[in-house]
Amino acid sequence: MRVVTTLQKIASQQLPFLLSLPAFLLQGYFLLIPLAFIVVISVTSDALGGQWLFTLSQYRDLCSSMHMKVIFNSAVLSCIAGGLSLLIGYPVAYYLAMRAGRMKHALLVFLILPSWTSFIIQVYSWFYLLQKHGLFSSFFYSIGLTSEPLSLLNNYGATVLGMVYCYLPFMVLPLYTVLEKMDKRLLEASADLGANAWQTFTHIVLPLSHSGIRVGLALVMVPAFGEFAIPDLMGGVKDLYVGHMIMEKFLVFRDWHSGAAVVMLSFMIPIVCVGLWYLMSKSVRYVQGEE
Amino acid sequence: MQQLAGSRFGRYLNPLFVLGVYLFLYLPIVVLVVFSFNDGDFAGGWKGFSLRWYYEMADSHEILGALKASLIVASSATILSLVCGTCAVIATKWLRLGRWLNIFYANVLVPDIVLGIGLLCVFSVMGFPLGYKSLIIGHTVVGLGFVIPIVGARFHQIDPILTEASLDLGATQWQTMRRVVLPLLMPGLMASGLLVFTLSLDDFVISFFCSGTHIETLSVYVFNQVKNMIDPRINALSTCMLLISSACVMCLAYLNVLDQVVHSE
Repeated sequence: MRVVTTLQKIASQQLPFLLSLPAFLLQGYFLLIPLAFIVVISVTSDALGGQWLFTLSQYRDLCSSMHMKVIFNSAVLSCIAGGLSLLIGYPVAYYLAMRAGRMKHALLVFLILPSWTSFIIQVYSWFYLLQKHGLFSSFFYSIGLTSEPLSLLNNYGATVLGMVYCYLPFMVLPLYTVLEKMDKRLLEASADLGANAWQTFTHIVLPLSHSGIRVGLALVMVPAFGEFAIPDLMGGVKDLYVGHMIMEKFLVFRDWHSGAAVVMLSFMIPIVCVGLWYLMSKSVRYVQGEE
Repeated sequence: MQQLAGSRFGRYLNPLFVLGVYLFLYLPIVVLVVFSFNDGDFAGGWKGFSLRWYYEMADSHEILGALKASLIVASSATILSLVCGTCAVIATKWLRLGRWLNIFYANVLVPDIVLGIGLLCVFSVMGFPLGYKSLIIGHTVVGLGFVIPIVGARFHQIDPILTEASLDLGATQWQTMRRVVLPLLMPGLMASGLLVFTLSLDDFVISFFCSGTHIETLSVYVFNQVKNMIDPRINALSTCMLLISSACVMCLAYLNVLDQVVHSE
């Protein structure tokens, strides 16, 4: 009898620990170990039969002109996608947060609705419009803009279009969050003090939404840097991107060590950029505060 | 504000621009859905309404197989991440170790491609065969990143007076958990469950790396199928998936949790 109660006591004491175990085990085995593994194999080579030796040669190889070109392509695409979605997303977030009134929630739901289906399907839906004999090219042909129906797919513009289409909601959401929380009395105060709409925007709204812009750019540019499905489907195979390079190294060449270096790079470059920007904006504010 | 609304930009340009963006977002989807009901393939233009492609979709073993795989993976990952996540939230709060839950934010922050590649490497090193199990594990790990913050936030909102009252009135801890805490957590559980289910159903990158050669989920099937080619059966399939995810979003909006998710970012 005493044994049973002791057992029960132990069980009830250990129960919370046991309950939390599955989630933490999953986290450890299938998130932390994979991440650590990528870091480790990116700085080792297995040249000597099974023994892994520390080396930075994979990173050195990344500096070759071929790799640099791919990295440059991805960086440019990621910047264009980030910049365009900011330009398009800001007015939308502004309208939703400041002027939509009761329609706000409905509009927000309809904004994110498309991004809740697989982005493969979102990209596929553009095929109907852009393809040869698709709606757009037929339209351009019928109004005489082009002499024959052209395919509007497989070019850089199509890639950019696909990226902006898929990533736009990720830009609008953080901007909306910041703009919605903003104290609207500041705008009235600014107007009362004689600022015009543009001055209010550049001096009040824009500086106060800085954190939203930063989060939005990070949410768009980090995944855009490693993206491979959208350029693959919309842009044809003319330009190679970091995402392609990762996929090829792992699935085709089975060269894990240099693949892992590319993965690290695709992860670190955007994070370092965001971090630098954060530090810079902080120091700018510090200097301004000093004045 | 007065002046902002009064300027020409404020009055006309901004709403018009927003209208344009919504057209941009919905035009391709509407065309996709409309042409799934077209009697004829795309090259012939519009030939009249029919459900032909839906019947052909239902006859295709590949599509049904992919649908089955996706549903199995999504529902298993949802259940697993809900059970593990809720247990972890309750247990860590009980032990007053709640801050350890913060490590689960990493699951959302790590890009899919990094996690997918990492899992692929670890599975191969461990000799773990790629298939349903690896897919479910991958999706569960991502799911935990949504379940734990949402359920954790909900748990935080529970008034301690309620649980104390329950214990005072003679309920055991287990009864308090089941009869008081769990019902109060329900909205969070529903919301995160729906979220994980939709995300898993739509996931491409992790499925692409973890599915191996035998199994194709819907997204992977569509990716392999549509490289520059239009297949009206895919339209029918996409329409069905759009319906499922729209239903989930509407449920989430109804549960009023989208706001919470947005603000927790």
